[in-house]
Amino acid sequence: MSDPTAPTSTAGPKALHITDLVKRYPAGVEALRGVSLDIEEGEFFGLLGPNGAGKSTLIHCTTGLAQPTSGAIQVFGHDAIDRYGEARQAVGLAPQELNIDWFLTVEETLDYHAGYFGMPGKERRQRTKELLETFSLTEKRDERTRTLSGGMKRRLILARALMHRPRLLILDEPTAGVDIELRLELWHYVQRINQEGTTILLTTHYLEEAEQLCSKIAFINDGEIVAQGSSQELSNRYGVPNLEDAYLALVGRKELSRSHVDAEAIQ
Amino acid sequence: MSAAQIRLFTLWRREVSRFMKIKKQTLGAPLLETFLYISVFGAALGSRVGELHGIDYVVFVIPGLIMMAWSINAFTNNSSSILQQKFQGAIQDQLSSPASPMELLLAFSLGGFMRGLIVAVLTFIAASLLVDLPVDHVLVLIPSLFLVGFFFAQLGVLIGVRAEQFDDVSFAQTFVLQPLIFLGGVFYSAELLPQPFETLTHFNPIYYMINLVRYGFVGYTEASIPLSLLALFAATAALFAVNLRLFSSGYKLRA
Repeated sequence: MSDPTAPTSTAGPKALHITDLVKRYPAGVEALRGVSLDIEEGEFFGLLGPNGAGKSTLIHCTTGLAQPTSGAIQVFGHDAIDRYGEARQAVGLAPQELNIDWFLTVEETLDYHAGYFGMPGKERRQRTKELLETFSLTEKRDERTRTLSGGMKRRLILARALMHRPRLLILDEPTAGVDIELRLELWHYVQRINQEGTTILLTTHYLEEAEQLCSKIAFINDGEIVAQGSSQELSNRYGVPNLEDAYLALVGRKELSRSHVDAEAIQ
Repeated sequence: MSAAQIRLFTLWRREVSRFMKIKKQTLGAPLLETFLYISVFGAALGSRVGELHGIDYVVFVIPGLIMMAWSINAFTNNSSSILQQKFQGAIQDQLSSPASPMELLLAFSLGGFMRGLIVAVLTFIAASLLVDLPVDHVLVLIPSLFLVGFFFAQLGVLIGVRAEQFDDVSFAQTFVLQPLIFLGGVFYSAELLPQPFETLTHFNPIYYMINLVRYGFVGYTEASIPLSLLALFAATAALFAVNLRLFSSGYKLRA
C-alpha cells in the first residue's frame, strides 16, 4: 500500500499554488483552461465568476473530487494530485451542495469526518464538542442530519470542514440560500478563523460578501483567471466605481450596473 | 493506532453503523427469509424428500442457505451503500480525505462482509437450534465462507461504483445473482438434474461455492475441493484487483 501521506516537497510557502491547470471532462467540455493561481498563507481570497466559469471545478481538482487533465496543484508545498495525503490533510472543504450523510447524526458527521482525516478518538471528541458549541448545534447532536433545517445543515457543513483543523479552508458559496442572520453569523465566524491564521478561499455570488471579507479577489470566466487583485485594484482596472461594476464588465453585462442605470436616470 | 489505521477503522465503522441503524431491513429481513426457507424446505418438503446422498434434506439445504445469506447480504449492502452515498454526494467527504484507494476499497468491502457475516452466524445459530447441523471440515468451511463473503463484497462494490441508478443494482441482484444462486444447487443436488441442466450447472461459478460450503458442513461435494478453493481465491483476487484499479483511477467516483 503506497502511503499517500508521505511528504513531497517543502518548497513554496504558498497556501495554494496552481500552475497551468486544465480540466477537460470526458464529454469534451473544457472547464479549466490553463488556470494559474497563488494564494498566500493567511489570505482571505475570493474567487468570483458566473455560473459554469470553473470555480467549483477548480475546488474539486484541489480537493481530489475531480482529476485534473494537466497542470499542478500544491497546498502548502505538498502535491495535491498524485501524492495528495499531506495536501488533503491541510484542506477543509465546505461544499456548495449540502452533501451530508442522511444516516448519521450531527455528532457522528463530525466524528467520522475527523476519523477520515486520522484524528485520534480523544481529540475527536474534544473537537466535536467545541464545534457543536461554536455552531449552536449541541442540542441537535443526536439528531439525524436529515431532520435539520437548511441553516443548520449549512452550519454543520462548515463545522465538518473545520473538524480536522485545516490550514486552508475552502468555502464554495457558503451563504447561498441562507437568511441574513445566518449569513452575518457565518461571516463573523470565518473572519475570526482567518484572523487566527487559517487561509480562506471563498467562492460566492454575493459581491458585497467578497468585498467585505476578501483581501484579494480573482475573477474567473470561461475557465480562465481574467483578473485578480484587491477590490479597489479590480475596480480601477475596469475603470468602474466598485467591485459589482467590475464584475459586470467582466461578464459583459455593463447595462445591468447600478452606476449605468443611475447615469441614464440623470440624463 | 496510526493515522492510516484510524482512517480505515472510521471508514469501516461508518459502513457498519449504516446497516446497524436499519437493522430490521438489513439483518431482520434476511434472517426471517432464511428461517422461512428452512421451514418450507425443511419441515414442509423435507419430510417428503427424505434424504439426499444419505443426508437429511433440511441439513443438505442449510449450508447453501448460509452461503446465500452471506453472499447476498455482502453484495446488497455494498452496492446500496455506495450508490446511496453517490446520490447524496456524501461520499465526497471520504473521497476528499487523505484516505488511499486501498483504504477506501477495504472499508467499503468489509462493511458488507460484516453484515453478511452477522446474518450467516445468526442463521447458523438458529439452524443449529432447529436441526443437528454438523461441521465436518472446519478448515475448508472457514476459508470458503470468508472467500465467498469477500468475493460478493467485492462484487457489491463493483456494481455500486458502476451503478448510476437503483435500477442497476436491483437488476444485478434480481436478474443475475439470485438466479445463479438458486440454480447453483442450494436446494438440490446437480446430479439429480436431467441433461443438459446438469452440465450447464457446472458452468455456474456459484455451484462450486455451494459445494465448498456444503462440504465444510456435511462432508458431501460434487466438485473438487482444492480446485474449487483455488478458483474461488483466484476470482476473488482478480475482482479485488479490478476494484482497486477503479478506485485508483477514480472511475465514476471522481469527476
